[in-house]
Amino acid sequence: MNLKNATIHSYWLMFIATVITVGIVTSSQLVTNRISLLLDRQASELLAADLVILSSKKFDAEYQAAAREQGLQVSQSVSLRTAVFIDDEPQLVELKAVDAAYPLRGKLERAHEVTAQRSYAEQGPSVGEVWLDSKLASIVGQDLTLGEQAFTASWLLTYEPDRGGAIFNLAPRVLMNIEDLAQTGLVVPGSRVRYRLMFAGDQADIASFKTWLAINLKPGEEVQDLENARPEMRRALESTRKFFALAIVLTLVIAMAAIAITARYTANREAPKIAMLRAFGISQLSLFKHYLGQLGRLWIAATIVGVILGWATQFPLQWALDGWFGKTLPQVYSLRPYLSAALVGLIALAGFSLPYLLNATATPPMQVLRTVVNRRSWSRGLLMTGSAIIAVFCVLVILMQSSLLAIAVLGIVLACAFILPLILGWMVKLLLVSSRRRFWLRQYLLSRLQASSRGAIYVMSGFSLVLIAILLIAVVKDELMGEWQAQLPDDIPNYFLINIRSDDVAGIEEFLRQRQIEASTPYALVRARMSQINGVDIDKIRFSHPRGSHSVTHTFNITYADELPEQNKIVAGSWLDENRDPMQFSVEEGMAERLGLTLGDQLMMTVGSKTLQASVTSIRSVLWENFKPNFYLIANKELIADMPQTWLLSALIKDRHKADLKQLLQRYPSVTLLDISELMARVKAIVDKATVALQFFFLFALAAASIVLLAAIQTGRHEREVESSLLRALGAHTSQLYRVHVLEFTLMGVLIGFFAAAIASIAGWAVSVYFFDIEYHFSASLWAYSLVSACLVLTLAGIMVSRRVYNVSPMKILRS
Amino acid sequence: MAENNLCIALHQVGKTVDTPDGELDILNNISLDVKYQEAVVIKGASGSGKTTLLGLMAGLDQSTSGEVFLLGHNLAEKNEEQRSSIRAGKVGFVFQSFHLVQGANALQNVMLPLELSATDNASKLAETSLQQVGLEAKAHTLVDHLSGGEQQRVAIARAFATRPVVLFADEPTGNLDAATGRQIADLMFHLRDQSGTTLVLVTHEEELLERGDRQILMESGRLLVN
Repeated sequence: MNLKNATIHSYWLMFIATVITVGIVTSSQLVTNRISLLLDRQASELLAADLVILSSKKFDAEYQAAAREQGLQVSQSVSLRTAVFIDDEPQLVELKAVDAAYPLRGKLERAHEVTAQRSYAEQGPSVGEVWLDSKLASIVGQDLTLGEQAFTASWLLTYEPDRGGAIFNLAPRVLMNIEDLAQTGLVVPGSRVRYRLMFAGDQADIASFKTWLAINLKPGEEVQDLENARPEMRRALESTRKFFALAIVLTLVIAMAAIAITARYTANREAPKIAMLRAFGISQLSLFKHYLGQLGRLWIAATIVGVILGWATQFPLQWALDGWFGKTLPQVYSLRPYLSAALVGLIALAGFSLPYLLNATATPPMQVLRTVVNRRSWSRGLLMTGSAIIAVFCVLVILMQSSLLAIAVLGIVLACAFILPLILGWMVKLLLVSSRRRFWLRQYLLSRLQASSRGAIYVMSGFSLVLIAILLIAVVKDELMGEWQAQLPDDIPNYFLINIRSDDVAGIEEFLRQRQIEASTPYALVRARMSQINGVDIDKIRFSHPRGSHSVTHTFNITYADELPEQNKIVAGSWLDENRDPMQFSVEEGMAERLGLTLGDQLMMTVGSKTLQASVTSIRSVLWENFKPNFYLIANKELIADMPQTWLLSALIKDRHKADLKQLLQRYPSVTLLDISELMARVKAIVDKATVALQFFFLFALAAASIVLLAAIQTGRHEREVESSLLRALGAHTSQLYRVHVLEFTLMGVLIGFFAAAIASIAGWAVSVYFFDIEYHFSASLWAYSLVSACLVLTLAGIMVSRRVYNVSPMKILRS
Repeated sequence: MAENNLCIALHQVGKTVDTPDGELDILNNISLDVKYQEAVVIKGASGSGKTTLLGLMAGLDQSTSGEVFLLGHNLAEKNEEQRSSIRAGKVGFVFQSFHLVQGANALQNVMLPLELSATDNASKLAETSLQQVGLEAKAHTLVDHLSGGEQQRVAIARAFATRPVVLFADEPTGNLDAATGRQIADLMFHLRDQSGTTLVLVTHEEELLERGDRQILMESGRLLVN
């Protein structure tokens, strides 16, 4: 007997399912890597680099040498406060000297005057020239003196990528070339200077350099990357990365559902052939080896096609997103996505199909003479279940590289996989138990769903899992987008007014009120440096947190507030209560962590020649992403009332009020106006781009789900044809046949839509709260969407099926 | 004899099918009449064309040549939908593999053809039919849980429930052991005698051949004895 006859039935079905699995993994890994890289790159522009080291001392050459060895680009800048004389009046400025490589990420923007067209600049000022910010716009085009050197103020600096980080410390900016700094004579021993060394390069090289830095960093030096330098971006990026991980896993669940469905179907179809071969004396072991070889060849072919398909999907994505992003998605040069995809394909195929084939090879040879039920032994049942669990777990670990997270997701998937068939089966039984006497049509449809030979419950469970995955992606996407949009609505303040004198506060508030300009409550600002913690001098404390030593030289802005500010939440202790203690600090939780502060710690702050001391009575979490005034330290009023202070407030100044700004500045010349709209626009653009990426995954999942649907339709096709021919033989009309097939799928759609919505709601809550740390909102539209989409998709599928099936000749019933 | 007086009439009927090796004649020049209330048993070896002949007579398939009349209708002039209408409520079937609706109980299976033809009191008629085959106690048992003999009895009940004019049986005892097969055959012929239904039965068993009013032997697509 020639084993060649034992080819896998529906080979193409399993092949397509495996191609999809490999393709999805390849594509999602490539796409998420590239999108993640782009988002990081875009966000890095706000840092003007991928990595920054800060210090109050000049850097040794070793960092630059080490960075260049790693293949990184290097740039440096020096910042200090100084004064320029304008009309013989001194003006305090924030001077920044940059080299030719600056900025490493992002671009400088400049214009000749405030209202003129802006243009990009590839690098900063040339030797002998300076660029000035809008506060000094009146002297652009003139000469000015910095220290001992004269310069020409040739441009207005309209955008500086990394300026936003020092939002409250702004005197007007003067940008110059670093080669001119020495000639100015401004940097002398004792000068308060900040040195920045900036690096940019490939992700892997940056990561490697960061590891080297962690060992070689000196005291007083601080490393900044995107996440710790720009907290307003941190959550958005973190959430986006988590969402990508979740979307990949869920999309893969869809693909593996396809393999499981087709494996079961293929094994059932192979059973008669296997019985025949065994009757002719071919052993079970020989058969299994043969099928193993077949699967191996299938895997190789599917991997090649799947990898090519996954690689090819980058191009439509690139075409679609390049226009929106305005630049090319960065390339990923790594074999890892392809190797991961091949491995995942192998594990999924082996895990889901081998046990079914093993069971099929145990088909009794007696089957050739009469139908004998091949009852699955408990050990074989255990093997099948265990194999599927191990396969899913291994795949998750490969993709997510976190076994804890893999276990959590595995748990959810398994719970669905086990619970769904039970729930659906009970639901069908419940609907069947009816006092209705008629069998046709409803009872007939329900009996079709219940018939184990059709495997309809398993197909419904598989499709439910698919719909749950899609709904979960949609739920989380909506929650994330909602949260981001809530943080960046169109009407949040776009200007900060800072350096307001105490006497001018009321006048400025009235000025804004008269013009119906929305403004925040004014905040008093006392600039202080930390001198002691619990009686120990700050420079003698060894902080365990790597950024703790930053506080030695950091200047804090302390404010007071009667009430807890919006979007601040007390996480320890209780809000400032003057009745309890007149001297209190409320500390932001990140700062508390860096300095190792707990409730009851005594902080001593120096304000000029004065000191103030109070204990920490509460620790707050702060939503930094809202672009509103937020503070590390808040005191009670009495503590800082007598301290030298300025005030700040934020305002939403629309275009029609821009002309009033000149009047405001003329009336209150001490006020500095900080336009943060540009910064907000750039952050919003990054969030918008992340949203596009999320929606891409949504479409990807939908496409994968449609393949699963096709696979599900194929399963049971033969049985449907036999049933149709029986009904024809019994005298059913075409319209009756049409209705039975379409309504069967519609009924499946109703059941699937209902349960998928229920489970997706519960899972959406759990994932939002515990995984993304965002609020979950019940969505009635989710239920409507689930029911309508499931019914619509499956009804259309039913129409497709019925058109092919009801034309089957009734002779089939005699031949089957 | 005029076709209107005959239950079934075949005039020089042939059936040819396309195969990879070319055209294959399954039936050759078959002419045959079946009177109302007659019991005709067709016997032939495997591949003799008896199942194909049954299918043509029942309107489940169309001949390649010749004419087939069922209940006075020339099936050659009818499309699939029209042939279905001819069968509804008037033609019953008993199959070798029973072909019951799995997942439904015995009563529901018997009700199916009655409801398809919009017969009133389908449930009552079905219960009566089940009584006639001795399965009233198992009316609400899922057919998956019935033995082979019981399933075939349900199939017989289903076939007779509509009080058909003609019943087509394709190897009705083929999947049963000898004893059960005899019981099924007895039941079928008993009900047929009671109702006066025309019976066309295809078999390869000699015992069943002798129970018909007329015996037809087939070989290689031709009638040997009629």
